Amino acid sequence: METTQILGLITGILFGFALHRAGFYRCGLVMRGLAFRDFTMLKVMLTAIAVGMIGAAVLATFLPDYAHLKIKPLYVWGVLLGGLIFGVGMAIAGYCPGTALVGLGAGVRDGMLAVLGGLLGAFVFILVYPVLEPWLIEPLNLGKLTLHEVLGLPYLPVALLMAALLIGIIVWLNRIETKTQATARQDQC
Amino acid sequence: MMRVDQAMATTETRPARRAIPAWLLWGTAIGLVQIFAIATVQPLGVSTAYPQFVGFVVEKLVPGFGASQPYLQKIGTAIGWEVMLVMGIPIGALLSRLLAGRSNGNATACALPSFWSSSRSQAVAAFVGGFLIIFGARLANGCTSGHMLSGMAQLALSGFLFGAAAFTTGTLTALLLMKRSNRAQGGER
Repeated sequence: METTQILGLITGILFGFALHRAGFYRCGLVMRGLAFRDFTMLKVMLTAIAVGMIGAAVLATFLPDYAHLKIKPLYVWGVLLGGLIFGVGMAIAGYCPGTALVGLGAGVRDGMLAVLGGLLGAFVFILVYPVLEPWLIEPLNLGKLTLHEVLGLPYLPVALLMAALLIGIIVWLNRIETKTQATARQDQC
Repeated sequence: MMRVDQAMATTETRPARRAIPAWLLWGTAIGLVQIFAIATVQPLGVSTAYPQFVGFVVEKLVPGFGASQPYLQKIGTAIGWEVMLVMGIPIGALLSRLLAGRSNGNATACALPSFWSSSRSQAVAAFVGGFLIIFGARLANGCTSGHMLSGMAQLALSGFLFGAAAFTTGTLTALLLMKRSNRAQGGER
């Protein structure tokens, strides 16, 4: 195996382990999270994003050789429509592409079925891509835009400020949840 | 080997029992995995590997399929970092489950309250939802990992648009389904 492949495998094992420990093998966590009945999913995600946000900006600023950033282009129609479809699927299945694999590894039947559905979805997408590309992917492609570039501000301060904002939201969510814990208890699975 | 792993698991879970809540511990862990991924190869991203894997398999069965499909030409069908990451996720989840032991006895149940009245409708939902998440993610060029954990962490505008779109339909769908299931069960509480 090449180094890149080994690194991918190691990263995947660590990622799967952490996602499993956070409880994402159960579809209920995502379903109740989306319905705002349980903030666990949101808190885990926002924490992970905040840590990654600080880490990416610190790497890019102080160790640029180790900052393998990859900004995805903003082609408005495809990203918007894809996101809308994705949301419906996430609520129906209770999984996203990563957590379905966690369910599969943990031996949860529905995780395995979501992965199989995903493979079929991937196959259909491969076939219809030539039709979709001129309508949804090529037009209104604004390129690889980032918040700090659009604002014309330096990367690190904007990233730290955004991370602070996310941490504020996490603390707020946690406070609401602690207050309503009595009700939430009845909902636990 | 097993004994070492178990010893590691004990030291890892101990702080969670004391003070740090699981969402904070494992949310931070996911963020650190993200930093590791950025420092070594590229930010986390799961959904590209689905069509790459499909392309790799179909190419074996129908030689020339990869060359005939523009989308596969674009993303490639080689087993690289992303497919290896996706292979690693279920391994990590399985490891976590094995190390969790009895404290995680319920791990194979897709624990509910679910929106779905029967096991069969739940299975269909997982498959259909799985189809939609990968189709949507490929149209948008990223999923929860690529657009939210990675995109938003890099302050990419495409990530924020995807996140907003996915949570809009995700929350609406989840609330609708929850309403329906509450009515069917005569209210959960």
